Amino acid sequence: MNQKLVNILLVEDDEVDVMNVKRAFSKNNIMNTLFVAGNGVEALEMLENHIIPLPKIIILDINMPKMNGIEFLKIMRENEKLKNISVFVMTTSNEDSDKINAYNLNVAGYILKPLSFEKFLTSVATLKNFWQLCEL
Amino acid sequence: MGNASILLVDNRKAIIESFRKSFSEIEVKHTLFSAANENEAWSMLDGSQKLSPVPKIILIDVNRTKNKGIQFLNAIRNHTDLKSILVFVITDSETEINKAAALNLNIAGYIPMSFESQTLNSFVSVLNEYWNIIEFSSQK
Repeated sequence: MNQKLVNILLVEDDEVDVMNVKRAFSKNNIMNTLFVAGNGVEALEMLENHIIPLPKIIILDINMPKMNGIEFLKIMRENEKLKNISVFVMTTSNEDSDKINAYNLNVAGYILKPLSFEKFLTSVATLKNFWQLCEL
Repeated sequence: MGNASILLVDNRKAIIESFRKSFSEIEVKHTLFSAANENEAWSMLDGSQKLSPVPKIILIDVNRTKNKGIQFLNAIRNHTDLKSILVFVITDSETEINKAAALNLNIAGYIPMSFESQTLNSFVSVLNEYWNIIEFSSQK
């Protein structure tokens, strides 16, 4: 089936992690347009001011300067135009409180960043398969 | 990662059996519970048949039971202890009457599906791999 590819917004402050996502996308043949924001403030600005077309998927880090992922998520869920975007948390935080907060704000998944790039590649492959299942 | 209970809500015994068989063949490690309708499901989440721990995942076809499925999801989203449950809508209905309403309730995925065994196995396999890479919060 020929599906129009949805836009994806990555909200991530670590430049190495941004590069890893781009590499993993490329190696998994994920051709969706990927936008990047360095923190929650920047992401909100991009979304609320229509600087980027509305994404259907957000990949969200938790620990970021200025505004962390949970704070961003709270504001997003209160915005009529943004509240239904699918959010996948990708973070190094293994804190139960972060998982609870994220799921209370109805993220679609909470993923711990694997330590090895190989494992990260596999996780991204799994995400791709899941997105295709949901016709995202 | 970690184990989670999964609650499948469907009034078709054949579908429930197909899922059980598929879960077994794919060796899904999460425990599968089933409810024949939304009332029974609610009882298993917050009533006389309450499961412990509460399931972390619900599988439901909201297009089958008019708007009962959507009302059920609404009730879950308004319940302090249940609102964080991951909901996957799985539907073989061609008329997606409740799709928009479901998407408004922050479901984890809206998945058009076929329940024929070979195809079902491939769907369950993808879902299982996805459930194996995500973290769940502590048991309740």
